[in-house]
Amino acid sequence: MNAERRRLAWVAVVLAALAPLAESPFAAGRARVDVAQLARQVEGEEDHVTALELAEWIKARRPDLRILDLRPPAQYDSLHIPGAERVPLDSLAALHLRGRETVVLYSEAGAHAAQGWVFLRALGHSHVVFLRGGIYEWIDQVLNPTLAIDATPVERVRYARASALSRYFGGTPVTGVPRVEQAKSVVQLRRRGC
Amino acid sequence: MSAPLPLVGILGERSSLAIALVIGLAFGTALERAGLGSARKLAGQFYLTDFAVLKVMFSAIITAMLGLFWLGRLGVLDLAQVYVPETFLVPQLAGGVIFGAGFVLAGLCPGTSCVAAASGRIDGAMTMLGMFAGVLATGAWFGPIAGFAQRTALGVRRLPDVVHVSYGTTIFAVVAAALGAFYIAERIERRARHEVGT
Amino acid sequence: MSRPAQPYADPYFAGVGLGLVLLGAFVLVGRGLGASGAFASAASEVATVVAPAQAAKSPYFARYLADGVPPWRDWLVVELLGVAIGGGVSAWLAGRMRRTVERGPRLSGRTRLAFAFAGGGTMGLGAVLARGCTSGQALTGGALLSLGSWVFICAAFAAAYAVAPLLRRLWT
Repeated sequence: MNAERRRLAWVAVVLAALAPLAESPFAAGRARVDVAQLARQVEGEEDHVTALELAEWIKARRPDLRILDLRPPAQYDSLHIPGAERVPLDSLAALHLRGRETVVLYSEAGAHAAQGWVFLRALGHSHVVFLRGGIYEWIDQVLNPTLAIDATPVERVRYARASALSRYFGGTPVTGVPRVEQAKSVVQLRRRGC
Repeated sequence: MSAPLPLVGILGERSSLAIALVIGLAFGTALERAGLGSARKLAGQFYLTDFAVLKVMFSAIITAMLGLFWLGRLGVLDLAQVYVPETFLVPQLAGGVIFGAGFVLAGLCPGTSCVAAASGRIDGAMTMLGMFAGVLATGAWFGPIAGFAQRTALGVRRLPDVVHVSYGTTIFAVVAAALGAFYIAERIERRARHEVGT
Repeated sequence: MSRPAQPYADPYFAGVGLGLVLLGAFVLVGRGLGASGAFASAASEVATVVAPAQAAKSPYFARYLADGVPPWRDWLVVELLGVAIGGGVSAWLAGRMRRTVERGPRLSGRTRLAFAFAGGGTMGLGAVLARGCTSGQALTGGALLSLGSWVFICAAFAAAYAVAPLLRRLWT
C-alpha cells in the first residue's frame, strides 16, 4: 500500500476513533439547560404571554411573529389561533428559526407549550414565550370574554380591551354574566388535555 | 441559534439548480476518473477481479459520513435540516435484490450509465433507455405493488437508533468495517493478478 | 479519438472526492445525490403527455406531478445532466471517449445491448421499490446511516454476487 493511501487511511481511522468520544452531532443532542437562568425567567413572568397580549400582537401585525400550535392535527384543524403553524413537539428541534423571530408556543392547556419553551430555550433560542392556559386561554380571554354582573372597575377596563379584540377575531363578548357561571365555564374548559 | 449550514431559505430555485449542475459535474467527473463509466470494470466487482465499485462507493460513504458527523458536532451544519430518506424495510430489501440482479445484467447503474453514455458507450445509452422504460412501466402499473411498496414504513430510522449505540460509535464501526473490506479486497485482487500472471 | 488513453485515478481518492461532493450537496442544499429520481420525474412527465388518464390514476406518478415542478426544473434531472456532461468531458480529456459497445468477450454487440436494456428495466423496478439506487440510497442514505439504505446496499450486493455466476457468459 503506497504512502498516500496509508495517510488517507490514518486520517479516516483518527476521525472515526474520536467519534465515539465526541458529543452528539445533532444540536438537539447537545442542548444545554441553565436551570438557574430559566427559573429566573419563570419567576419574572418573562416566559409567557397572555392570550390578550398575543391577540394584540397579531392584530398589530407584529413582524417576525411565529405562532406554533403543538396539538394534534385534528384539534388544529377544528380551531387554531390565526396565523399559527402546527408543529409536533418532537419536531421543535428541527425547526429552523432565525434569531429575530419571536416564537409563541401554545398547546391545549399549556403543559406541552411550557415543555416546548424549555426545549427551545435549551437549544439557544432567546425570544420564546408560551400561552400558559393554552387554547383554552385564547377561547376564554379572546373569543368569549365575559363581564360579570358585579364587575369591578379594573375588570371593566380589562373587558373593554378584550371585547374590542374579540370582535376583531370573530368572537362573542358577553356581558351581565353571573360570577358563578363565569367560574364554571372556565373549569369545564380546563378539565381536559395538556 | 441555528447553525449556518445548510443554506435553508437563502437559496432561490435558480441558485439551487446551479448548485445541482455543479455537483453533477463533479459527481460525473469523479465516477469517470475512477473508471466507473466502464461496464466491464464495474462487473469485475462481482467476479472478484476488480473491486473499484467497493472502493469508490465505500470511500465516498465514509468520507461524507465523517464529514457530516464532525460538521454537525462543530455546530457548522444543522443535521436536523438535512433530508434523510425514509425507511421502508421490506420494499427496500426487495428493491435491493431486484436492483442488484439488474446491475449484473447491465453492468451499469443509473448514475454510471449516464457517464458511460456520455463517453460514447452505446450500452450506457441502452441501459438508460431500459431504466426509463422500467420506471415508466412500474409507475404505470403501480396498482398491484402499491400496497407492498408501503409496507414496514418506519419513517426516518438510523442505524444508531436501531442498534442502540451512539452515533459516533456507529460511525467508528462502519469505518472499521469499510477499511477491513478494503484490506480483503486488496488481498483478493493481488491473488487474482498473480493467477493471471500480470 | 486521437488522445492517448490515460490511466484511471486511484479508486480510494476518487471515492474520497466523490464523498466530498456528496458532503458539499448536504452542506449547501441540505440533500444528497440521486439518479433514479431523475428518471422517475421524466417518466411522470412523459406519462402525462402520452396517456394522461392512466398517469393520473398512478399513485407513483401523482407524487411527481403534484409538486408542479417540470423535469427541466427538477433538482435531480439537472444534477444528472451535470453527471453526463462531467463524465463526457472527463472521458474526452482522458482519451477515453470512444463510440463503442462495451461487452464481455463472448457476447455479440446486439445481445449485449439487449441485456443492457433488460438490466436497466430491472433496475428501474428495483429503484422504484427501494426509493432510489446506488446514488440516492447507497451513497446518500448510507452516509446518513439510514437503516433502509444499508438494507438496500446489503441486498443489492448479495443479489449481485448470487446472480453473477449465472451470468458468466455476459462478462467472462
